[in-house]
This record gives sequence, C-alpha cells and structure tokens, in this order.
Amino acid sequence: MTQKPSHRVDPHLVIEKYDPEAELMLMHFGPQHPSTHGVFRMDLFLDGEIIVKAVPHCGYLHRAVEKLCEKLAYVQITPIVDKNDYVAPMTNEQSLVMIFEAMLKLEVPRRARWIRTIFAELQRIASHLLWLGTFSLDLGGALGGGTTVFMYCFRERELILDLFEEVTGARFHYNTHTIGGNRHDLPKGWSQKVLAAMDTIAQRIPEYEAMTTQNRIFQQRTRGVGVLDGELALELGITGPILRASGIDHDLRRDAPFHAYDEVKVNVKTAEGGDCLARAEVRVEEMKESVRLVREMVGAVPEGPINSGKPVKLPVQTKIPVGQTYVGIETPRGELGGWLVADGTQFPYRLKIRPPSLHAVSALPYLLPGQTVSDAIAILGSLDPIMGEVDR
Amino acid sequence: MAVNEEPKAALATASRTHTSDDAGHFQHPLYQVTLQTPGLSVGTAVFDDLMTWGLKNALWMFPMATSCCGIEFMAGAASRVDMDRMGVIIRATPRHADVMVVAGTITTKMAPRVLKLWEQMPEPKWCIAMGSCAISGDFYRNLYSVVPGIDTFLPVDVYVPGCPPNPEALMAGMIKLQEKISLQRTGKFVTPEVKPELLKITNPSVPRLNDPARRPEQNHEQELSADSPTVDEATAPLEVAAEGPAPELSPLTSPDFEGLLKELGIAELPKDGPPIIPLEQHLALARKLKSLGYRQLVTIAATHWLAGKGRKGADEAEPEHFEIAYALRTVGMGSRVAAWAVRVKAGQPVLTLSGIFAGADWQEREQYDLLGVTFAGHPDLRRLMLTENYVGHPLRREFPADAHWAPWR
Repeated sequence: MTQKPSHRVDPHLVIEKYDPEAELMLMHFGPQHPSTHGVFRMDLFLDGEIIVKAVPHCGYLHRAVEKLCEKLAYVQITPIVDKNDYVAPMTNEQSLVMIFEAMLKLEVPRRARWIRTIFAELQRIASHLLWLGTFSLDLGGALGGGTTVFMYCFRERELILDLFEEVTGARFHYNTHTIGGNRHDLPKGWSQKVLAAMDTIAQRIPEYEAMTTQNRIFQQRTRGVGVLDGELALELGITGPILRASGIDHDLRRDAPFHAYDEVKVNVKTAEGGDCLARAEVRVEEMKESVRLVREMVGAVPEGPINSGKPVKLPVQTKIPVGQTYVGIETPRGELGGWLVADGTQFPYRLKIRPPSLHAVSALPYLLPGQTVSDAIAILGSLDPIMGEVDR
Repeated sequence: MAVNEEPKAALATASRTHTSDDAGHFQHPLYQVTLQTPGLSVGTAVFDDLMTWGLKNALWMFPMATSCCGIEFMAGAASRVDMDRMGVIIRATPRHADVMVVAGTITTKMAPRVLKLWEQMPEPKWCIAMGSCAISGDFYRNLYSVVPGIDTFLPVDVYVPGCPPNPEALMAGMIKLQEKISLQRTGKFVTPEVKPELLKITNPSVPRLNDPARRPEQNHEQELSADSPTVDEATAPLEVAAEGPAPELSPLTSPDFEGLLKELGIAELPKDGPPIIPLEQHLALARKLKSLGYRQLVTIAATHWLAGKGRKGADEAEPEHFEIAYALRTVGMGSRVAAWAVRVKAGQPVLTLSGIFAGADWQEREQYDLLGVTFAGHPDLRRLMLTENYVGHPLRREFPADAHWAPWR
C-alpha cells in the first residue's frame, strides 16, 4: 500500500485529520454547471479558495448501456454505442465492431480498413475542434469571453460533419460500420471535398494557435496548472492526449496498429509539461498530424469490396462462438475498448466497455488538491471528459 | 341610453377577442371597472400584445444539456445556425431564463435536479423536450436508470423529435414555441399540466461524506468478518510487501507472460478466455507483471455466471460464481495486453488491486456497484454510478432488463 510515492496526493484524505482549526467549506460543483461538460458533480472541500479534497460523483448520465447490450443481438448494438462518446461516434462504432470481428476471425477488406482510418482521423479533428472551442469557453473571460474561439471551431467542425453526412446521411450517430466492413461506400467526388476542407482547416489551425496556445493570457491560465505525473497517469489507466502530454510516448495507432495504420507512418506528438497547456498543445499538434494523414490517404484509397461479412436477413443470424476477448483502439480521447464474454448465442453474455474518459476523470482527486476553484474548471476542461462515456 | 350602450358593446367584443373569459363569468371589481371605462381595455389589449411580442422575441434559454442533443444544441448556438438572431440568449442559470431546453437523456439520478432547476425559474416559463430521449426515453426507456420521457414530471410545451434533432429542427421548435406564446396570450392555449402523482420520483440521495459507516477501515473489518479464509491468508503478504522497496520499473522489457503462468502451474493459455489464477496468487501476479513492463491498467471486468452456467457452457454441477478479469498493457512500441481472471463465489471478496494500480480504485467501485462483487482492502468502496440508496446490482443476470417495478410505472 505504501508503494505510492510520498509526494502523491491522498485522494481519500480524512477531513477530520486535515487541520481541526481550519474552517473548511463544502462546495457542490455541478451536475448542471455548463463547464462540467455535461452532468458531472464534485464535492470540493475548500480552505479559503484552495481545494483540500475533491470527491467526484458520476452516474448522472448512467444509461445502462451494458445491460441494454445484453438483450440486443450483435448487429443491433452498433447504433447504441454511438451514443456513448457522442463527440466521436465513428471511433465508438469501430471499437465495437472490431471486437466482434476479432471473435469471428473475420478479415476486413483493405478498402474498408482505409475508409475506417480516414473516418477515424476526420473524427479526431472534429472532436479536438469541439474540445478547443469548449475549453476556451471554460476559460471564459481571459479570452475576451472565449466565444470567439468557440464560434470559429464550430465553423470548421461543420465542414467535417458535412463530409460525414454525405457518406452516411447523418450528422452524427452514423451507424456506418458493420461486422466485417462498412455499410456506405465513398461517394464520387468525395475526396476532392475532403481535400478542400483539409486546406481550410490547415490554414486555420495556426489562427487557433495564435488565439490559444500562443496567447499569453491563455498560457498564464494553463501553465503549471494540474500537473499530472506520467507514472500516475499509467497507473490510473489514462490514455490518449492526456498521457502523451505527461511525457509518455504511447499511441496505439503506432504501437499496436489497427485499421490501415500499419501502412502509413503516424508521428506521435508528446509534451513534457503534464499541465493543461501541454494537453492543449498535444491536441492542436494532433489535429495537424490528422490533417496530414487524411491528405495523404484520401487520394490513395485502394479499390475493392468494402465488406467481407455475409449478408444477414435477420439480426439473430449472427452468432459468436464461446470465448472472451479484449480489443482496444485509439480514439480522440484515448484507448476505447471492450471486454466481450460470448456464450455461443446471438446475444453478448457480458460486454464491458472500457471508456477513456472514466479513467481521465478518476485523476481529478489527485489533480485538484492545492489548486484554486477557477483552476478546477481549467483542469476538468483539459481532461476532455465526455459524460456519456464516463457513465455509459 | 343608446349613446351609452354602443361603446359598451364595442368594449365587450374587444375584450372577447383578447380573453377567453365570458364577461359575466369573471367577477372582480377591478375587472368591471376596466370594462366600464371607455378606452382602457383597448389600452390593456395593446399592452398585452406588446408584452407578447417582447416575450416571444427575447426567449432566454437555460440549457439542460445532458448528452448528445446538447452538442447539437451547441451547434445551434454556434456560427452556422446562430439562434441568437431569434433573440435567443443562452443563460446558464435558471433564474435568468424563460425556456428550459432539456436536451438529452434524463436519468433517475438527474431527474430530481432537473425538477429543482425548473422550480427555480421565474414565471412565465416554457419547456422544450429536445430529442427522443427527453421525449420518451428512446431505447433506454425500459431500463433501470432512465426516466421514460420528461413529461412524466415536467410540463412540456414543445417536442422536437430526432436522435439527435438537427440544429435547424431545434430552430423550428423555437418558432413553434413563439407561435404558442402568442396563442397563450389570446387565451387559445392553456399551459400543460403535470400529473401530480408522477412528481414523486426517486428521492435524491444526500451525500453523507463523513458518515462513519462509510469509513474504509470499517468496510475492511466487515469484509474480514465475512468468514472467508482467503482474505486472512493473503492479507499478510500484502502488508509485508508494503514495507519493502517499490519494484523497479523497466520499460519496454520483453515480458514472458506465459512463463509467469507456468510458474503458477498453468501450462497453456485456455482458448475460451483468460487463464484463471488462484485467488492467493492474484496480487503477486499483478505486481510481477508491473515490474515486467505492464505498467498501464486497462480494465477490470466482472462477469456473473448463474448456477448451471460457466464459460465452457452449461454444466449442472457449476454453482453461481463471478469471474473478474483484469487486463494490463505495456507502454510504447509493440504494445501488448496481458489478461487474467480470478473466480469467486457470490459474496466472497477479492483483494483489491488499488494498492498497485491507482486506477483500480474506480474500476472496482464500478464493478461493486453494478455487480455486487466486493473488494477487500479497498480504501473507499462506494457505489459509483447509481444512487447510494439503490437496491440491487443491475448487471447481475437475474436482474430484470425491463424495470417494470420502477416508481413512475
């Protein structure tokens, strides 16, 4: 138990032992506060304005997805998991169908893998844009109301949603991935539109940098705030940009390639600071990298079929043999995976979804003590939690 | 007399166009005075119209945005759709707002808060249900934690269907609400009423942080007294290891997971799932793996097997049990996952992994909450997702998927 380094914050601090003289104030933060990115609540014990202990409460959006999956046939689950991480539904679907494909030992056609890769990278840009906009809104007054960056980011995000809408017919909640491939092929002339959108975004990312990560006010608000130690991040199971901002060079796109990532070179961006600024910088750099990947790949999508699964007439025709497996992929927020227990029927016996956001939020009791209340909002925002995924 | 009757008749017709009341029905001295004073009711009618115009063109919105629809709500407020031009300002406090937009699924844990926020809004106020979850609960409607439609406890004025509705659809809903407000002033529309018996949904649980019953040491004592020999045996090495030096972490080693398993007497990996480790070896294995480079906690997943069922299929001799699977990952190039499982009877505790991997804290709380698996030595074993006063563990197989017993049914 004492293996924990001594400098680590004790998340289970007993308040009576803190300082009997100090008059602590209990402040409820959330669950309807707009900067909680949905519905998330924390009980903050304050000594003056300094947080002594933070007790997060989640479950305000617990929609019983895992129970629902147990009573649905395998092919019916894809639209359900769309709603878990509603900022990046594409990667949600991909992670789910990849578990089923691994269990069925299905080979996905090369064209489908390339399309999935392009979708995942476009989704990463859209997700990070939304994060940058809302994070600037969280920091609020320091950025002249913060609404400017929010408006700009949403303008560019709509470009990507339009591209997805053209392929799948939906702005989000696409339901475009099936077991063994994709449902929708790329329409004619789509790649030109993608390239045009990428040109616009590539041109505007430096503008965002000037407004955020290179802005002196933004830097003062975020530098040295919420420093997350890399070793603690690994223990907590934190993945994705947050882990990379703590100096750990780990990205499943490069380290355990899925889709078509083994055919392209992914440059992994890391930062050493581990603070809110480092997390922002990593995400902006990742957007640039995703733009590069999409530009490189969209013109070179190989020809061929997009689905190798046998067409099914009834949902209950897809059965998965007895077994258990875990498959995880890199989404904009980190490693999203699922532990599937199959019992040979057409329904999953148990499907545990491994959400990156839940692990990210579990860092809050370690990050918040010693910070002020205004920094708490910056720290929570920089973790980029999506409550649908935390609570499921 | 004829001179006097004429303006009276004109006033009566004028008042009828603006109120639904019959002149004789409503008895108030001041009302009679307004009817008898020439020109006054025309003035109030004009004032009424002015009020209506002001109300419907300055709808300040309170976003009760819980999930996916909240993102489309934000897109509606952002640059392309821009609801600002309809006089819609988003105010994140109920005390400044006219319209509550419920965008997203409302769970039983959240519903009392929504109701409280609704009560904090000043009159006149309106409510928009955005998206299928807010309207009916959508495909979550029968599940144990979701409210099947917010109109069970809120008076909804406008429903905006879709999953999620486009921002344009939300805008159409706003226009509908504006039309409705003008009708409300002329008396052609009546505010929807809530069924009072539906208001009594689940009581919010008050967090009692300093409740002595929740002290971790007491939890541990309770579990120790649960009469399980495995805990007593395994607790001792845990304490010894705590005093020793921390294991050296060597990144990117090439660990031999199968070799480790052979030491434990497992010759080959089973094909139908992760290898099952004896309970007393569990912590030692985790510690060894961590020192071999499996530094990242991936997940902890418990499965409930009913009596007569198991991972190999139906077997009558199989008692009811839980299987708890753990997965760890190496960091960096060629990342690999190592997974193992432990098997416990119902009610038998497992030693916590939270001393080795800090992230196991919340993962184990979640499994305890949803499946009722207990973890001995856990520093803070509380429910994570459901309310503290919730009865039962919903991910157990015998728990009904359709919650017909729910209080609002």
